[in-house]
Amino acid sequence: MASFAAACRMSARLATRKLQQDAASRGFRTSAAALAAQNFTMPALSPTMTEGNIAAWRVKEGEKFSAGDVLLEIETDKATMDVEAQEDGILMKVMQGDGSKGVQVGTRIAVIAEEGDDISSLEIPADEKAQSTQAAEAPKTQTPATPEPDSAPPSSTPPKVASKPGAKTSKQTYPLYPSVAQLVKENGLDESAVSGITPTGPGGRLLKGDVLAFLGKINTKTPSEISARFNKASHLDLSNIKVAKAPEPKKPAKEAAPVPPPAPVKSVVSLPVSLSAVIEAQRKIQKSLGVFLPLSTFISRASEVANDELPLPAGYQPTADELFNQVLGLDKVAGPKVSRGAYIPQIAALPPASAFPTSAAPAKKLDILDILAAPSRPKQAAKKTVVLPGASTGPNVFSLQVPKAEERRALVFLERVKLVLESEPGRLVL
Amino acid sequence: MAPQARTRVIIGGGVAGYVAAIKAGQEGMKVTCIEKRGTLGGTCLNVGCIPSKSLLNNSHLYHQVLHDTKHRGIEVGDVKLNLKQLMKAKEQSVSGLTKGVEFLLKKNGVEYLKGTGSFQDEHTVKVQLNDGGETSVTGKNILIATGSEVTPFPGLEIDEKTVISSTGAIALEKVPKKMVVIGGGIIGLEMASVWSRLGSEVTVVEFLDQIGGPGMDTEIAKNIQKILKKQGINFKTGTKVVSGDKTDGSVKLNLDSAKGGKAESIDADVVLVAIGRRPYTGGLGLENIGMELDERGRVIIDSEYRTKIPHIRCIGDVTFGPMLAHKAEEEAVAVVEYIKKGYGHVNYGVIPAVMYTFPEVAWVGQSEQDLKKAGINYRVGTFPFSANSRAKTNLDTDGMVKMLADPETDRLLGVHIIGPNAGEMIAEGTLALEYGASCEDIARTCHAHPTLAEAFKEAAMATYSKAIHF
Repeated sequence: MASFAAACRMSARLATRKLQQDAASRGFRTSAAALAAQNFTMPALSPTMTEGNIAAWRVKEGEKFSAGDVLLEIETDKATMDVEAQEDGILMKVMQGDGSKGVQVGTRIAVIAEEGDDISSLEIPADEKAQSTQAAEAPKTQTPATPEPDSAPPSSTPPKVASKPGAKTSKQTYPLYPSVAQLVKENGLDESAVSGITPTGPGGRLLKGDVLAFLGKINTKTPSEISARFNKASHLDLSNIKVAKAPEPKKPAKEAAPVPPPAPVKSVVSLPVSLSAVIEAQRKIQKSLGVFLPLSTFISRASEVANDELPLPAGYQPTADELFNQVLGLDKVAGPKVSRGAYIPQIAALPPASAFPTSAAPAKKLDILDILAAPSRPKQAAKKTVVLPGASTGPNVFSLQVPKAEERRALVFLERVKLVLESEPGRLVL
Repeated sequence: MAPQARTRVIIGGGVAGYVAAIKAGQEGMKVTCIEKRGTLGGTCLNVGCIPSKSLLNNSHLYHQVLHDTKHRGIEVGDVKLNLKQLMKAKEQSVSGLTKGVEFLLKKNGVEYLKGTGSFQDEHTVKVQLNDGGETSVTGKNILIATGSEVTPFPGLEIDEKTVISSTGAIALEKVPKKMVVIGGGIIGLEMASVWSRLGSEVTVVEFLDQIGGPGMDTEIAKNIQKILKKQGINFKTGTKVVSGDKTDGSVKLNLDSAKGGKAESIDADVVLVAIGRRPYTGGLGLENIGMELDERGRVIIDSEYRTKIPHIRCIGDVTFGPMLAHKAEEEAVAVVEYIKKGYGHVNYGVIPAVMYTFPEVAWVGQSEQDLKKAGINYRVGTFPFSANSRAKTNLDTDGMVKMLADPETDRLLGVHIIGPNAGEMIAEGTLALEYGASCEDIARTCHAHPTLAEAFKEAAMATYSKAIHF
C-alpha cells in the first residue's frame, strides 16, 4: 500500500513537470506577456488519467506558495493525491473550486502569477483549451441548428434566397394567405423554399409581394420598402412639434376665453401673530415632559382647529340638498352655514422696518407670475417656514392667498389661528 | 384632509378616460376618474357621435317614408314629424349608454368623482365637486384625457339658438327654415343631412375646394357631394365666410370666394359653426405644473403618451393624432398597457374614418391624393354599387368601393367606400390593412351572396386583375 502511494506521488510529480516547462518558457519571453498570469490546468496524474475531481485547494486565492508546497488534492478513481508546486508563485484565482467533479485533464483549474506580481493589475489570460474546443465543436453544434424549423432566425440563408444577407426568414406557422398559397402551388415551391422567403408582413407574416420578390417577378427591394413605409405610418408623427412660444402672454388670453370661467382673482389675507406664547408652552412641555415639540406641530394643530366650521365663501354654490332645505325653510333652523376649510397659513417673520398693512390688500406687488405660480409655490414656501423655527420669537405674519370670494373666510381662519396660538397654545398639544 | 392616494388618477370621463379607467381597474389598479359633465362618455356619448347617429337614423327613416317608399310600393298616409319625440328617442339612447358606462366603472372598481379636476402640483389634483365642496386626490400616475371643444368662429358668438355648434345642432327645438353650415367636414355634413331631411333648406359653406375634410379621397368627396346635392343640400365650396351679423332671430353671413373674387351674402335662421374642434385644457391648471402645449394647444407627448412630466400621460383629442373616439379608445388601452406591461399597440396608419350621411362614406389607409403627393406608385380598382345585386334589390345603388394597392406587390394601401353601410364594411378593409393583405387575398376570400360586401371583393378583383360583374 505504501509503495502504491509512493508511486502515485511520483506520477504526480511527473505530471507537474509540465508546469515547470510552462514556467520555463514564460521566463524566456521578454514581451509584455511575461507579466501576464498563467493558466494552471488539470494535471494528468497517471498516463491513463483523463479526468479527476478536485478534493480541496490547500492554498487559498491570493496566497503565496513556494516550490514543494501542496497546492491542491485531486481525487481520481483510484486515490487522492497531492499536487505540489514546482516553483514559487501566487495563486491568483481558482477556476474550479473544491469539490469540482469530473474535470478533464488540461482544463484550466486556476490562474497563477509570479511572486511579486501585483494581482490586482494582472489580466486573467484567456482559456486556451476552451477556445480551441469551442472552435472544434462549433461546426458540430451549428449543423443541427439549421434544420430546426422553429428556431427563431436561422442564421444561414438558404441558397435560393434572393434577399439581402441578414434579413430574417422564418417558417410560417399559421395558414398562408390565399394569394401566397396560390403562388406557392403555382410555382411548385416546397416547404423549405417557403421558409426561406423573407417575410415583410406585420409580425413576420409572408405576403404576396414577398413571394413575388423571391420568384424574381418584381423588384426584390419593393416589399421591404413598402413595409418600412407602413411601419412609419403606424406611429404618431411627433417629429415636428412646435412648442407654443411664450406661454406667459398666451395664458391670460386663454383664461379670458369664453368657455372656462375666468380664473378667480387671488388676494392675500394676512395677520400678525406672536409666537411667544407658543415658545413659552414649548419650553414648559420640554421641561415637564422631556418632549420637544416643534413649532410646526403647534401651527398645524392650530390650523386644524381653525379650519373647522368656517363661513362659506361669497360665491358658494349650494348643493342639491341645501337647496332643498332652503325651499323647505330648514336652512334657517339649522343655523349659520359653515364648512370645513383646507387652509395652510404661510408664515414669515415680520419685516422689522416696514409698517404692517392692516387692510387685506396684498403685502407685495402682485404680478401675473405670482398668480400663475400661486397654487404650488406658496404651499412649498409655507412648509419651509413652518418647519424652520427661525422666525420665532417676535411677531410673524401669517398669510393666505385665496380667491377674492374667500377673503372673509380666510380672515376668520387667521383670526382663529392667532387666538389659539397667542392665548393657550399648550392646550393644542396636551 | 390629506388627499386621497390613488395609483391612477384620470382627468376626463370621455371615451379616452373611461376606457382607460375600466382597463386600469381590470389590471387591478386603484383608479379615480374625474368628470365634470355629470355623465360619463364625454363629447362622443353625450353630444357627439351617439346622439347624432340617433338623429341621422331616424331622420333618414322619416325622409324615406316621405319620399322613397311610394315607388317601392308602400303608400303611407299622412306623415308627420314629431321633433320632440325624435329628440326623446335620442335622449333615451344617450342616457342608456352613459348609465351603462357608469355601471361598467362601478363593476371594475373605479372611483368616479363628479367634478372639475385641476392640477395643484405634479401629484395632486384638486377636484371642485359638482355637488359643492372640494376634495383632492394624489396619483402615482395621472392621465390627462380632457378631450376637445368646438372651435369657435371668430366674430360669431355661439349662443346655441341662432348660432349653434354641433351641441346645439342635436337639440334644436324646431326645424329651421334656412340653415347655413360653416364647414363641410364630417360633422357639418351629418348635421346638414339631418336638418335637410327634416325640411330645412341647408347650404354648406366650405373654405376648401372639396367637402369631407382633408382626409377624404378627392374622387370620393366629389361623388358624395353630387349625391348629397341630389338630396337637396346646397354647396358653396372654395368660399369663405368673412363676417356675420346677428339680428334677432336671423343671421346674415357675408361670403367671399376663397381665391378672392365676388362677394355675396346669405341669410339663415340658424348658422351651424362646424369648422373643427380644438384641444380642451381650460381650467386644468396646466400652468401650475409647467406643462407644455404645442402651437395648436395640444399637450406634447412622446411615443408612450408621456408628457414632459413622466408620470403624467395624455391621450385622446387633447393630444396628437386624429380626433376620433375609436382612436382615443385604442390609446386608452395602450396607455394602461404601457404602464402595466411596458408595451401597448396602436397602429396609427390603420384608423378608419366614417361619415354617417346616406349613403355613408368610410375610408382607411391612404387616399389617392396622399399617394400622389408622396410620389408613391399605386394601382386603383373600383366597383360601383350599381353593379352589385344586393344594392340593386335594395334600390340603393349610389356609391362605390375604391381600392388602392401597390402595383408590384399588390399590397393594399387604402380603401374608400361610399355606400349604404360603408361604415360596417370598412372593418374588412381595416383588418386587411392590419394584416398586410394584398387585393388578391381579399378577392380569394369567400364573400356571401347576395351582399353588399361582394362589391368589396369585386373591387379587390378589379384592383389586381378584373372584376367579374362589371
